[in-house]
Order: sequence, then structure tokens, then C-alpha cells
Amino acid sequence: MNTVFYVSALVAILSTVLVITRVNVVHALLYLIVSFFSLALIFFALGAPFVAALEIIIYAGAIMVLFVFVIMMLNLGQRSREEERLSLEPKMWIGPSLLAGVLFSELIYLIVYTGNTAVSSAVEITPKQVGIALFGPYAIGVELASMLLLAGLVGAYHLGAGRTGNSSSVTGDKT
Amino acid sequence: MKISDLLPLLPILLISGVVVLNLLIIAFYRNHLLTAALTGAGLIGACVSTVAVYSFAPRQVTHLIIIDGYSIFYMALVFAAGFVVTLLSYRYLELLEDDQEEYYVLLLLGTLGSSVIVASSHFASFFLGLEILSVSLYALIAYNRNDPLGIEAGVKYLVLAATSDAFLLFGIALIYADTGFLDFTQIAKSAGSGHVGLIIPGTGLLIVGLGFKLSLVPFHMWTPDVYEGAPTPITGFLASVSKGAVFALMLRYFTKVDIHTNNSLVLVFTVIAVASMFGGNLLALLQNHVKRVLAYSSIAHFGYLLTAFLASGSLAVTATSYYLVAYFVTILGAFGVIAALSGCRGEPDLLSSYRGLFWTRPMLGGVLAAMLLSLAGIPLTAGFVGKFYVMAAGIGSHLWFLVACITMSSVIGLFYYLRIISVMFSKIPEDFEETGLPDVSGIAAAGLALTVLTLFLVWLGIYPSSLIEVIHKMMSSCA
Repeated sequence: MNTVFYVSALVAILSTVLVITRVNVVHALLYLIVSFFSLALIFFALGAPFVAALEIIIYAGAIMVLFVFVIMMLNLGQRSREEERLSLEPKMWIGPSLLAGVLFSELIYLIVYTGNTAVSSAVEITPKQVGIALFGPYAIGVELASMLLLAGLVGAYHLGAGRTGNSSSVTGDKT
Repeated sequence: MKISDLLPLLPILLISGVVVLNLLIIAFYRNHLLTAALTGAGLIGACVSTVAVYSFAPRQVTHLIIIDGYSIFYMALVFAAGFVVTLLSYRYLELLEDDQEEYYVLLLLGTLGSSVIVASSHFASFFLGLEILSVSLYALIAYNRNDPLGIEAGVKYLVLAATSDAFLLFGIALIYADTGFLDFTQIAKSAGSGHVGLIIPGTGLLIVGLGFKLSLVPFHMWTPDVYEGAPTPITGFLASVSKGAVFALMLRYFTKVDIHTNNSLVLVFTVIAVASMFGGNLLALLQNHVKRVLAYSSIAHFGYLLTAFLASGSLAVTATSYYLVAYFVTILGAFGVIAALSGCRGEPDLLSSYRGLFWTRPMLGGVLAAMLLSLAGIPLTAGFVGKFYVMAAGIGSHLWFLVACITMSSVIGLFYYLRIISVMFSKIPEDFEETGLPDVSGIAAAGLALTVLTLFLVWLGIYPSSLIEVIHKMMSSCA
């Protein structure tokens, strides 16, 4: 059953190379989503359905939505609208959907013909086990990760706040 | 994890508590002095609490963190250095026309990350600590948003640090794939069993990631630009805390996974050490920019330090620890003088702006001269004793080639340190006009920090045995 792993690994590499080589940001993002999907499928095949779900919810879901929002906010005006129409031509979405189709058929195959774990010797890890590990031996790690997010948040707030010198009113003058 | 495990973590918990407290205070009431004072008090408190925690050592807290003499020593060093950076930053930030308070939160988080790194006995906690340190450094380096050079330095550090993290993670993944463990002790056990597999490429990638953080020579390209663009107190933090913590971790890991049994690893580190010594010193020769000179000099110093790292035996740990303390004192002092000299018109970047400094500002000039002499390794300074110990450790392990390289590259290094000193002592130029330092509060804090650093420098240079005793005591309890 290792074929499933190799095929999705190939899709992951291919789509990531295409992310880097695309000139248009929206096209790159489409391939990035496919790349996340293929990673999720690898996790699923290795017997970690919980991580696979997280990969889709957090990366392909939340983070990609943020990306798209930023791009939408940056692309303003008539010219970019024209570009956007060109960028959504049918031939542009053939590539990503082809790759996503490969992953989808793999997923169907996994669910229908095999159990949850496809790679031989893989043991399925349930969400409960993940939770016990995170809040048992790795509790300090979870706390440290929260400090890491705090550092990112404070840094992003400072660098992203308005250019005015003085405090308090920095968020107000952006509208 | 039990409640009784929390007590040995007291220093780390204290710093995290001060971070949260600072954030809450900033949310309701912005006051630069209050935030700075709280930060300083927190760092001092954490530094003192390491003494209290010493009675628990050695203690493994879950398998992520180990509190032993080694980690307590480096934690105390990191907190003390963080305190000095806080003192140096106050006046520097008063000149900044921007929010000042977030700086201290990020500085505390950076110190927290470093203390986690030195206490980690597991790749997960090491990586989390490293990321806390790096993420706060991204924002700290680019803290002055009105300075395009600072933004450039921040972006450069972000891109290159992220790349090096990818190498590091891949290396950790390969080591995990081979041994099945992330725990240093367990990895050492399976690595010691003599089989050769993915652990070799994994360790290679690990060295790339660590080498970037330590700016050792093949991975040093970012160093001068980032050091130049960052706010000067942060440059001091980068050169001391960020590098020292990663070096302490590297020493712990490679002492456990004994590198001396592996000839190819010893060869790799020898090449990196020689390249860093000569690369750093030769590239510094033609620089006219003082912060860049110090950046290259810090590259060379970590080359010297690698010699002690490669030497085996207890003298190696003593030598590296002593050298790191001496280096922390010296490099923080040197960047502290530059930070204290910076005025409204920016920082004194070029060598020419130091002309006659000794006659116009004898105190600052004297401190900078002392720091530079210590970097060069002149007797009666901490740098001399540190270098002496490194050489002794090298000779004790018959690393003749490396010791010869230290001697040769130190002679090259002497040139550019003495060049700065000779410029400081030269005549005041004819067209010199006394501008005076801008009148902001906080010069007393910077003055206090510089005085203490200078006293330490001389004390360690004249009477090193006091520190050596402390190091021996701490390292003997090292598990």
C-alpha cells in the first residue's frame, strides 16, 4: 500500500514546485492548497487522521483564507480586476484540479478498499491519544508554543501598526 | 507532570509571568519607565531565583527540560545579559519616536526562549525555545520602523532564519527516523550502539541550522548586515544571548552524543572553526563601519570557541563556559558604548566618527578601548584569560593545528581592534563641533551598565579563579 504514499508525495513535490514557479499569486495559492491537501493525505495514510484533519482545517482552511484576504485587499482598482478575470481562465484551474483529482481518487480508494491506515506497519493514532500526549508529557511544550504565538502576535502588532509616532490612536486612523 | 515539577521551573515561570504582567499593564497604561523597570526587576528576580533552584539540581522536569548545574549557570548568564540589554536600551528607546513598551515584552520573550534552549534535553523543547527567540528577534531587529536599514535587516533575518530552521527541522526528522527518539539521552544511547545510518546526514543538517544561528563561516553572510541594521542594544543581544544559548545547547548535545568518536564530525567542525577564525578576522580588516567590524569579530570569536568545543574532557566545558562569560561581558560592553553614543542624528557608524573620542568623552572612550583590548585578548582583561583557557584546552587535547590557527588569526585581529583604538586617541579634527548627546533620561542606566561591565572585565582578567570555581561547582553536578 506504499504506492499511496509515493503518489501523494509526488503530488506534494510537484505542486510545491509549481507554487514557487508561478508568476501570478492566485495561481500559486491554488497549487499551495493542493500541496497542503497532499500532505494531509500522507498523514492520513500514515495513520494520523487527526493531524490530516488539522492540516486541512488550519492550513488549507484558516491560513489560506487569510492569504486570500490579504491579496484581495492589496488588489484594488480596475486594472487588477481585469487581471483577475484573465487569471481565472479555465486553463488555469486545470492543473490544480487535476492534481486534486489524483488525491481525491486516492482518498476514495483508501476509504473504500483499506482500513484507515494504508502504509503497512503504521498504527492509527486517535485524537484522544494526541490529547493525552499534549497535556501529559508535552504540557510544557504546549505552554511554550503559546509563548511563541504571543511573540509573533506582539511583533506583528508592532510592525503592522500605523506609522504615527504616538500610541493609543494607531488602530483608529487606518480606516 | 506534577505540581512539584513547577518549582524547579521557577526562573522560566517568573519570566513568563512578567511578560503577561507587562502586556496587561501596556494594555491599560503605557509608561516607558514603568515597563522598563518591571522588565529589569523581572530579569533580576529570575537571575536570583536560579540560585534558589540550584538546590533541586539535577532534576529532569518531564522529558523536555532538564534543570542541572549546567542549565542553571547558562540561565543565570542569559538573564544577567538580558538585564544589561534592558539597561542599555532605555536611553536608546527614549530617542525613538515610536511605541517603546512592546520592545520590552519582545526582549523578555527572547530571553525566555534562550533560557528554554539552554535547559532543554529534548529536540521539541529546543526547537520551541529557538522559535520563541527567533520570532521575537525578527520584530526586535526591525523595531525602528522608520529606518529602512532596520526593516531590511529584519526581513533578511526572517528569510534566512526560516531557511536555516528548515535545515534544522529536516535534520531532527532524519535523526528521529533513524533512532526513534527526540530525547538527547536516548539518541546518544542508540547513536553509541555503533550503527551508521540516517543519523549522519541528520547531524550534518543539524550543524547547518546551528551554524546559521552561531554565524559560523559558511553560514555567516547575514551577520554584518543584520548587526548593522538592528537597534544597537539588540545587536548586543544577538551577539551575546542568542549565540551563547545556541552554543550551550550545541555543547550539551554533542557532549552527550560523543562527537570525538566520529572522525568525520570532528573534521567538519575543525574546518568550520578554521574558516570562521580566518574568515571573520580577514573580512573585518577592511571595514570602516564599527558595527560591522564587531560583527566579523564575533564570527571569529565563535571560531576560537569551537576549539574548546572540540577539545575533550572537563577542561573543555570549563574553557567554553569561561570564554562565553568573558565574551558576553565584552561584546555587550562594546555595543553598549555604541548605543550610548548614538544621538538624534543616528548612530555613530563610521570609524571616522570615533576620531578623538578619547579626548571628547574620556569615559565612553576608555570603556570602548577596554572592551576592544579584551576582544583582542590583551592581558589583564577577561578576553585574555578566556583565550588562555581555550588554548589550554586545545593543547590538552593535542589540537595543535587549531591552536596555531588561533594564534595566527589573533594577530590579524589585533590590527583592526588597535586601528579603532588609535583613531579614538588621535587628534580631534579641526572642524569638530561639539554637538553633545541629546538630552534624554536614562543615561544613568546605560552608565551603570557600562561601569559594571568594565569592572567585571577587569575583575575576571585579574582574578579569574573566582569564576572558575563557580563553573567547576556548577558543572560537577551536570548529569
